[in-house]
Amino acid sequence: MSTEISISKLEKKYPDGTHALKGVDLMVGKGQVFALLGPNGAGKSTLVNILINLIGKDSGSYVIGGQDPEKSGRLIQRYIAVASQDNELDPGESALNMLVFQGRLFGLSKNEAKERADELIGLFQLESEMNKKSGDLSGGNKRRLHCALALVHRPKVLFLDEPTVGMDPLARSTFWEVITSMNRKDDVTVFLTTQYLDEADKHALAMALIIDGEIKYAGAVSDFKKMVHPSENCTLEESYLTYVKSLSNTKNNEQL
Amino acid sequence: MNAANSILIRRGILKLVKQPAAPLMGFGMSLFFLLVYNAGIGGVGSMDAFGDGGYISFIFPITIISLAMGSSSGAGQALNADLQSGYFRRLFLSPVPKWVLVVAPMIADTFSSVFFTLVLLIIGAISGVSFQFGLVSVLGILLLSLLWSLTLCGFSAGIMLRTGNYKNAELVTNSIFILLFLSTTFLPRELITSKWLLAVSWGNPVTYILEANRYLLGGTSPAWYLYLALAIFGLTAIISVSYALLSARRTRIR
Repeated sequence: MSTEISISKLEKKYPDGTHALKGVDLMVGKGQVFALLGPNGAGKSTLVNILINLIGKDSGSYVIGGQDPEKSGRLIQRYIAVASQDNELDPGESALNMLVFQGRLFGLSKNEAKERADELIGLFQLESEMNKKSGDLSGGNKRRLHCALALVHRPKVLFLDEPTVGMDPLARSTFWEVITSMNRKDDVTVFLTTQYLDEADKHALAMALIIDGEIKYAGAVSDFKKMVHPSENCTLEESYLTYVKSLSNTKNNEQL
Repeated sequence: MNAANSILIRRGILKLVKQPAAPLMGFGMSLFFLLVYNAGIGGVGSMDAFGDGGYISFIFPITIISLAMGSSSGAGQALNADLQSGYFRRLFLSPVPKWVLVVAPMIADTFSSVFFTLVLLIIGAISGVSFQFGLVSVLGILLLSLLWSLTLCGFSAGIMLRTGNYKNAELVTNSIFILLFLSTTFLPRELITSKWLLAVSWGNPVTYILEANRYLLGGTSPAWYLYLALAIFGLTAIISVSYALLSARRTRIR
């Protein structure tokens, strides 16, 4: 498997002194569903925001699809897509118009953008909502539209930052059907951060655990579970909790 | 200009058409000024200082200036709405140049300002405002209106982007509003008796755009006001747009 995302010695310190990333090294394979896990404030969103070129790094390097995102500028935006924690919708526009507009922003012709919008409306089951203003949609449908917008330009790498927050079980299931289908058919690499560990357990083969800006584990999800509970068949959530608690206890003992 | 850039500009204009509160407020305020001032003190227009155009031609430039003031907050408002909804982040992560995200609402704002200036000029012509150079006067006034509008909406958009707070962007309009009254707004220089007001008016850039418009309308001011106004507001428009573009890089995105 070739490498799609390569991160080396990435550092980020905020002006308030928070050391968000402390020399992060990571590799994500092409076509992989990769989960970045960690407690709140561990540095997950900072890492994603650097990778998508929203904020700058202090030092280190990273490459996505063989390109340096800081130098490739707009090219990288066609290669990647982001579905972030917060909905990014224009409340005055209809779902259909937003999808078509998004396609046009990414260089699709009018017809292509309309076709792609219709396709995504079907995939995310938004047919009955497509002419409603996004501000009038229910929370779950806003979330579906938000995720559909990220997929308009058929990205090769998809960053999902807590993507299913606010979705009901049916919407979550539909969402993951679309994502896994894209992953299998089009070899799309998925970089996922989530607090729903059952989702990571079900869909991700590789993972990394970040705590206080440091990578504590990187490798296969199955290996992580075996490492924490060698003799039991545990879920990722159980293994994660055991591991994080043991790290916390070790830290407390060291402080004592 | 590529398709993505032009659809962003078109989006800005359509937003103004769908939510015309800001430009309509500016337009309404301008008409109000014209009606009230002309009704209240229009009688002084028979004095020689007001020339053949009378008081309505003299007071008319203030309506044009206040029009742009009312509508120039539209770019800041549009950016504010996109920032608040999170949609700006989506646009920011699209493959369009970042400067277009800022310039698009400014172009929409300026377009709206120039359009409503044209409507005001038609109303002015019907109401008896004189145009010393005919069509050239109209084009000159539109050019001044464009530069003035760009100056205001550039600063408004830039402050909005840097602070992420629309209230701060309104400071531009509020501070300019004071300048409107520290000038030769209601009477020609020779009829103003207060020495401090005369002194302040020389340092007030609003004076030059007012007098430039008066040169083009009733011809009551000398031509050099026009040249100076074009130089001043050409420069402020460049500074303002540059400030807005630089602010795009420092945008606070949630």
